[in-house]
Amino acid sequence: MVDPSKPGARTPAIQVSEEKYSAAMHVEPMGTRVQFRGTISTVNPASVLNPFVDQVHDHLLKAGAKDVRVDFTELEFCNSSGFKSFIYWIQKIQSAGDKQYRLRFISSPARKWQRTSLLALSCYSPSAVEIG
Amino acid sequence: MTTEPSQANRPIYLMLRMKPPWVFVDEIRRFVESFCACACPGESREAQVALAVHELMQNAIPHAGGESVDLTLQVDPAADRIEIAISNPGTEEQFAEFKGRLDRINQEPDPLRSYLRAMAEAPMNQRGGLGLARVRFEAQLELSITREGNRITVLAWGRLRAPQLKVTGGIHG
Repeated sequence: MVDPSKPGARTPAIQVSEEKYSAAMHVEPMGTRVQFRGTISTVNPASVLNPFVDQVHDHLLKAGAKDVRVDFTELEFCNSSGFKSFIYWIQKIQSAGDKQYRLRFISSPARKWQRTSLLALSCYSPSAVEIG
Repeated sequence: MTTEPSQANRPIYLMLRMKPPWVFVDEIRRFVESFCACACPGESREAQVALAVHELMQNAIPHAGGESVDLTLQVDPAADRIEIAISNPGTEEQFAEFKGRLDRINQEPDPLRSYLRAMAEAPMNQRGGLGLARVRFEAQLELSITREGNRITVLAWGRLRAPQLKVTGGIHG
């Protein structure tokens, strides 16, 4: 049986999936990667994404992670309600004391909204956000 | 086929009247993005305009009460202007509440500072509180609101050839 918490495991350790979008945490040899896919545009995506963020955050704290890659390359769009889940994530990091880690966003140049949205997030918390 | 030079700089309009359930907002955003890419090639405004339409539509639909939501998009290359108008039925109370939110956002001259304040103050477990400030900063559009008859109209306008967004970084508060 595959232990999803071990590096190289094929199945995501933590994941959520809705009709139009999904999010999954992958533990990989080069570190943890959280991938968002699809279109986050439902009425209140925070009800799905915030509990997911809670689980990922707890995992990263336990693992003593210094950073996590947040993969947006397959995220077509994220509305402001969904965007708040990333602010929520940053606020959790900011309250983690000496266990704080960085979000290293991997964006898609073809999805131009990502540049401005991530620019704003990096201004919100320069210490917690890095744009790749 | 060639485009007549006299027509190249004329304003281009898109008008839609919809009774859309929430699920169609993604289709509208994609259509607007494609329309803008054709209407103003080379200006790189389509993603910002599409984002603005998406956010303003998501604000309008819950207040429309099943009635129509109207979208008008005007691209005017000669005037270097782009304008979005979205209207929906709304009560005087809804108008006052919306105008109060918008006035608060517009009180801050710097769109980024206004956006960062909205990020810090928006409730994290329920929808709302961020969309207008996001449109103002990310789409580089000014915002105003009017009420005529029983319809509320949100207007978003700005330069067609907006400069690329740059910040010096480290601004917070």
